[in-house]
Amino acid sequence: MYKPVLTDLVEKNILEPEDAERISTYENTKPFSLHWELKTMLYVGVLLLNVGLGILIYENIDTVGHAVLIVLIGLASAGCFWYAYRHRAPFSRGEVESPTPYYDYILLLGCFTFLIMEGYWQYQYNIFGDRYGLATFIPMVLFFVLAYLFDNRGVLSLAISALASWVGITVAPEEMLSQNDFKSQTIIITGILLGVVLAAIPTLSERFGFKKHFSVTWLNFSIHILMVSCLAGLFVLDEKAIYFPLLALSVAFYLWYARMRHSFYFMVVAVLYGYIGFTYLLLSSVSGFEFEFYLLYFLISCGIMIAFLINYKKHRNA
Amino acid sequence: MIAYDRKSLDAQQTAEYAERWRKKGLFSEETSQQIREQHQSGFYSPNVFVRIGLAVFGAVMLLACVGLVGLILSPDSSQSVAVLGVLFGLACLFVLEVQLIRNKRHFGSGLDDVLLYAGTTAIISGLLLLFDMPGGLATYIVVLPFLVAGSIRYLDRLMAAGAFVCALLMVLHIAKDVPRVAVYVLPLTGMVFSLLVYRFARTGGVRVGWRYWSSVLAVVELLALLAFYASGNYWVVQQAGHYYFGMDTPPAGGLFWAFTFIVPAYCIFRGIRAKDRLMLDAGIACMAAAVFTFRYYFNVLPLAWAAAIGGAVLFSISWFSIRYLRSHSHAYAYEPEEKDTLLQRVQEEIFDKTIVGQAAPTTNEKTSMEGGQFGGGGSGGDF
Repeated sequence: MYKPVLTDLVEKNILEPEDAERISTYENTKPFSLHWELKTMLYVGVLLLNVGLGILIYENIDTVGHAVLIVLIGLASAGCFWYAYRHRAPFSRGEVESPTPYYDYILLLGCFTFLIMEGYWQYQYNIFGDRYGLATFIPMVLFFVLAYLFDNRGVLSLAISALASWVGITVAPEEMLSQNDFKSQTIIITGILLGVVLAAIPTLSERFGFKKHFSVTWLNFSIHILMVSCLAGLFVLDEKAIYFPLLALSVAFYLWYARMRHSFYFMVVAVLYGYIGFTYLLLSSVSGFEFEFYLLYFLISCGIMIAFLINYKKHRNA
Repeated sequence: MIAYDRKSLDAQQTAEYAERWRKKGLFSEETSQQIREQHQSGFYSPNVFVRIGLAVFGAVMLLACVGLVGLILSPDSSQSVAVLGVLFGLACLFVLEVQLIRNKRHFGSGLDDVLLYAGTTAIISGLLLLFDMPGGLATYIVVLPFLVAGSIRYLDRLMAAGAFVCALLMVLHIAKDVPRVAVYVLPLTGMVFSLLVYRFARTGGVRVGWRYWSSVLAVVELLALLAFYASGNYWVVQQAGHYYFGMDTPPAGGLFWAFTFIVPAYCIFRGIRAKDRLMLDAGIACMAAAVFTFRYYFNVLPLAWAAAIGGAVLFSISWFSIRYLRSHSHAYAYEPEEKDTLLQRVQEEIFDKTIVGQAAPTTNEKTSMEGGQFGGGGSGGDF
């Protein structure tokens, strides 16, 4: 389909025929990239291996010697970390290209096997006893160190989710609502504090120019934890005077951030959460109106939101 | 025939190609600047997240609109609801055509998508209700023209996909009622229909005059490939045979088993050989389906072993392929064609998220070892 484009550009005297010829040769001879396919296969491979090994160990806990299994898993984990250490790129405060294409996956596999090993220790030898906090604290510290040392956002995600579990919150996207008891005030307040901390760290990092590219990962956890906790406070605890201003502040922060970094993602997410909170506040505060009033509210408010989104930096791409 | 301005569509395509060639360093910055200036489409095509936001608010607004209209006019019979539905759908399409596309020059803005889907759905449901269609063949006959017209006029890929599925169902619906030989005719009809559509999409996709529909036709091409495979896949054939004709095993089962494995292998081979990405990706997906089909009938290995061995095999294949391609990069390469596209970033984000979902500690029992969820020693929840 590029040929009519080239012909058109030559006809308009924008391109010289030689240039068009060169581009045509490039298009005809450029290598066929198998990047997407191979990367997906690599990823599915790691995932299947992890699931398969996990179940195998679970099923064979009583037949194979525990010591043998632990040594095997430990060796696998250590092997992965050794690979990551051997092939690491020099440390930099900025972004570092992965030294090899499978580097990130091997590092992740190492982290997974480490978790399996730790889970096994706890299951079999109960090494942490009832101090579950310690069991998430250790991988959390390890993963943060690895993420920053080897510059890996996948491991950073693991570290942040370990941090969240350490303070008692589940952050996996599909389980965030089902696994957390948002009726508990402790969970809601913890969630808000965690969200603030997760937003503060990248803000400081950016100020000091240290691993700026990690910001998106940090803030992506932060925005959802913070907003969902604020909304839970509004809906469940029904303390509007506390949680609505908190929500408004969070939305304002993310709108500011989105404007600074030209990020449409954070802008739209903040607007959606803000709209939900505002609508709830308004509709739960008024009563006795006809059903038409509520429909009219949605009609007009959505119109305003659409106008806002359309006029917000109309032609910029993030 | 197309609702959007063709010159603008051409300008947009030229600008996209020019940007790609500029990134590859195939012409100078000045040339690129000149192309950009002379090829401004003037479309309002916002960033994908804004598009999602606009679609969400647009959908809520339309629902409120439906509610208000319903409350004010309060139709009392199914006939009047049907007429109202058709009128509402027409109004949606009118706003889409005049206000959004002609005046505001929206193109893939989220709002145009929502209006198109809402309008078409309202008209179709209205018509089905009005003529009291019982479902089945008559429904497909009513629905199909709208989907085809929508995908042609608005270059809409989702509608094209809907049109393909609708047409396929229609053909299969006819085939399954052929007396006596239906069980043989059904898979064959699926295959022949898919092949014809595939040929059509392939030849149409390279026609210069049809360049505006190239992405629409690509969707149809991919679906046709998948449908072709599904028509002969042993599991599909066996299940359909059981459901429609009460047969436990399909006739000529060996033939379908061969089909189940040979077609994906051929697609992968052909896809790589002819550098046809759609064929290759469809082949990979079909091969995965073939493996699942096999496991469904022959439980040769326990799930855990199958997952572990399969994972190791996949990992090794990709590992060695990447190693090989990185040192022998001629006709094929591991390097991505375009670095840091949105799709790639989304893909990485999904990988990260599923990884977190997999590894995140979720229970407050001692451990959570089932299903591969080895939480970090098992904390979480509440303590």
